[in-house]
Amino acid sequence: MTVEDQVRDIVAKITRVDKSIITRQSTFKEIKADSLDVVQALVAVEETFGIEIPDEEAQKFQNFGDFVSYVESRVTQEEKV
Amino acid sequence: MSLQGKLALVTGSGRGIGRAIALKLASQGTNIIINYFRHRESAEQTAKDVESLGVKTEVIRANVGDPEKIDDMFDMVGNKFGCLDILINNAASGVGRPVADIDVKAWEWTMDINARALLLCAQRAAKLMEGRGGKIVSISSLGSRFVLPNYTVVGVSKAALEALTRYLAIELAPQNICVNTVAASAVETEALKFYFKEGLVEDSRQLTPAGRMVVPEDVANVVAFLCSEDAFMIRGQTVIIDGGTSVGLFALAGK
Repeated sequence: MTVEDQVRDIVAKITRVDKSIITRQSTFKEIKADSLDVVQALVAVEETFGIEIPDEEAQKFQNFGDFVSYVESRVTQEEKV
Repeated sequence: MSLQGKLALVTGSGRGIGRAIALKLASQGTNIIINYFRHRESAEQTAKDVESLGVKTEVIRANVGDPEKIDDMFDMVGNKFGCLDILINNAASGVGRPVADIDVKAWEWTMDINARALLLCAQRAAKLMEGRGGKIVSISSLGSRFVLPNYTVVGVSKAALEALTRYLAIELAPQNICVNTVAASAVETEALKFYFKEGLVEDSRQLTPAGRMVVPEDVANVVAFLCSEDAFMIRGQTVIIDGGTSVGLFALAGK
């Protein structure tokens, strides 16, 4: 399962939307994620991948794709270390 | 109890009120376990500042809204130190919404972090305080008894926190554990800037007979007193730190 699939599952579970509608271009609003959903998704992703996502980075995410790209970059970084 | 050489766990002590409490207790010789959840850099900065006061410090990441994470945190404290003298239940979160928009998720998130965490942390802390006594102090807010805009869930969670403080104070009294809460009006912190509109700082200043807003150090000073032996006979209380705002409301309204 790719990082993207795992993040999509997490977000879909929290926002209770069908994961098929979540694309990399989807905004959090389109996924019906409110601010609490976003925090919960961040926490769940942090725990799943063993990373920490600073709020300053999270605030830059414009859509689901930004979120996934950030997690991907962090996960690859950790693997290299 | 002199605070010298004691061990305190301060939840949510990377920033704001928790950080001020950690520094205040450290300045009196207390070793500090810093708990944080979302802001590692702030927690590490607090740890540095605490260490520069000549005491030992440890940083633990844990979401106090998650019972398993609370258990993990206290397992770590137990394994590393084997005891605890002071628990400061400070970590808080909340969803600022009008009543109509509060859903189950927002309710549970807020209640779990702000109210249930005290129960679970106090249960574990009491075990680490066995045979030595201890102090448990929580941070509430005026929203527990006064209505603030979009503050329903947080206000209710803080009311639960204050009620729980009374029950804990009585049930833990035989173990020589003093349990109290402090409730502050709006305190100048980053959380405040995040949750409330601009202008609140100025509004609060005008509503405060003491002439300025409450700052984190005001809260930390009272918390440190409640952790001292001088406060031994204060049990189950909520001490209000608001510069007179709550008792002065009617007088201010007449101005």
